Amino acid sequence: MWFKNKIYKSILLLFSFFALVSCNSNESKPIKLNSDSCDFCKMTIANGKFGAELITQKGRYYKFDDVACMIQFDKTSEVPSKVFFVNDYFKENELVAAEKSFFLKGGTINSPMRGNFAAFSSDKEQKEFQTKLNAEPMTWQQVYDSYK
Amino acid sequence: MKKLICILFSLLFSISNAKTIQVGSNLSVKKIKKALQLAVDGDTIVVNSGVYKEGNIIINKKIIFLGKGFPILDGQRKFEVVSINADNVVIKGFKIINSGYASLDDPCGIKVYDRTFVKIENNILDNNFFGIYLQNSRNCLIKNNKITAYGKQEQLIGNGIHCWKSDNLQIIANKISGHRDGIYFEFVTQSIIWRNISNKNIRYGLHFMFSNDDAYITNVFKNNGAGVAVMFTKNVKMYNNYFEENWGDAAYGLLLKEIADSYIFNNKFARNTSGIYMEGTSRIKVEKNVFESNGWGMKIQASCMENEIVNNNYRKNTFDISTNGSLVLNTFNSNYWDKYEGYDLDKNGVGDVPYHPLSLFSVLTEKTPSAMLLYRSFMITLLDKSEKVLPSITPDNFIDKTPLMKSLPL
Repeated sequence: MWFKNKIYKSILLLFSFFALVSCNSNESKPIKLNSDSCDFCKMTIANGKFGAELITQKGRYYKFDDVACMIQFDKTSEVPSKVFFVNDYFKENELVAAEKSFFLKGGTINSPMRGNFAAFSSDKEQKEFQTKLNAEPMTWQQVYDSYK
Repeated sequence: MKKLICILFSLLFSISNAKTIQVGSNLSVKKIKKALQLAVDGDTIVVNSGVYKEGNIIINKKIIFLGKGFPILDGQRKFEVVSINADNVVIKGFKIINSGYASLDDPCGIKVYDRTFVKIENNILDNNFFGIYLQNSRNCLIKNNKITAYGKQEQLIGNGIHCWKSDNLQIIANKISGHRDGIYFEFVTQSIIWRNISNKNIRYGLHFMFSNDDAYITNVFKNNGAGVAVMFTKNVKMYNNYFEENWGDAAYGLLLKEIADSYIFNNKFARNTSGIYMEGTSRIKVEKNVFESNGWGMKIQASCMENEIVNNNYRKNTFDISTNGSLVLNTFNSNYWDKYEGYDLDKNGVGDVPYHPLSLFSVLTEKTPSAMLLYRSFMITLLDKSEKVLPSITPDNFIDKTPLMKSLPL
C-alpha cells in the first residue's frame, strides 16, 4: 500500500510541476539576435543592448528592437500588457524587468529606432554611465510616460 | 622672358615642395606612424607591401595615403585601424584587417571624423567590426572597396558602410558581404549609392533611416537576411536595382515603412518571400518593375495611401498582392498580371474586364497565417474562383481597370 501511495504522490508532484511550468509565464524569453524581428517597426533585432520584450495579459510574447517601440506598441495595442522586459545595456542581450531597471536617455546613446534609452540593473551602473554617455537619468515610469 | 622663367621655376619649386615618403621594411622609414610624423599637408605617403601592426593609425594631415601591392594594416582585434581626422585625405590600395571588436564604442576599419572631401578607394577590408564609417562628413567618395566580414546570427557585428549625419556622399561600386547591414544611412542627405553589390549580410543589404533626398541606382541586393529597408524617409529614388533571394519570415525584397514622395522605377524583385512590403507609405510611384517568383509580389498594409502602381509585370508569384484592410486608397493601373484570365475583344492590348489582384486566399492568410496549410486544396480554388466573380471578402474596388494582355518588355 505504501508504495502505491508513493506513486500517487509522485504523479501528483509531476502534475503540479507541469502546472507550474505552464503558469510560469512571467519569465522572459530570450531574443534571438538577427533572427527575431521587432513587432512594432518590423526591423530585425540586431543589437542586444536596446531590445525589449513584453508579455500581454493573455500570455503572448512580443519582441522589440527598441524600448520606444515597445512603449508605442503597448499604447496602441488593445490587449493590455502584463510584464515589460528590457535589455541590460551593461551586458549582452540579457533581459531584465523594466520596473526594476534604471534608465538613461539621450547623450551619446544611439538606439536602433532613436528612442535612445539605455537600461541598467543597478543605480551604480546608471551613475557610472551617466557621465560617460552624457545622458539623463530616468525611472521606468518616466520612460513609459514619455510616449502618449 | 627672364621674368617668365623665374615664375615658372618658382611654380615648379612650389609643386615639388610636396614630397613623397616611402614606407617599407627595407627602407629608411619603416613605420607608417613615423612617416605620418614626417609628413606635412599635401604630401604623399606610399606604403610598400608587407604587414603593418601599428595599432590605431591616425591621419591628421591633408595627405595622400597610398598602398603599393596591398600592404596589410592589421588591427589585431584590438584597435580601430585607420582614423581620418583631416580634410581632403585620399586612402587607396590597402588591405585593412582585424579591427577591434567592442559593443560599446564601434571600432572600424576606416573611420572619418567630421571631415570633407575624403576619398576612400580600392581598399580591401576584411574581418572588421564596422567596415567604413563616415561620421558627420560631407562630399566624400567611397569607391571600389571590397568589404567582407564573417558575422553570424546571435552575434553582434557592425555595418559594412555606415554613414551618419552626412551630406553629399558618393558610394560607388563597392562589394559588401557578411556585415550586419551592407550599407547603412542615418540622417544622410543628398547622396548617391550606385553600382554596389551587397550580398549575404546578416540583416539588410541596404538600410535607410531618416535619410531624405537620396538615390540608389543599379545595385544588387541578394541573399541578405531581411532584404532592404527604407524607413522614416522622404524623397528617395530607387532605380534599376535587383532585389533577389531574400527568404524568411521577416524578410522582404524591399521593406518600406513611413516613407513618402518616392519613386521606384525599373527594379527587379525576384524570389523573395515578399517583393515589397509597405506600411505607412504615401505618394509613392511604383513604375515598370518586375515582380517574379515571389511568395507575395507586394504586401500593402492599410496604412498606405495615394500610391500609384503602374506598368509593372507580375509573374509567377504565389500571391500578387495582399493587404490587411478593406480600404483602398492606392491605384493600380495598366499592369501585367500573369493570373489575369480576361479577354481583349477590341484587340487594343488592354483587357476588357478589370482584374482583381487580391485573391481570397491572400486575404485569409493575412488574417490567419496558419490557413496557408489549405492552399491549393480543391475548396480553396473553388472559393477563389467564386470570389473573383462575386467579391465578398475582398474589397470590390481593389482593381486594375486596364490590365495588360502582354507583359511589358522590361
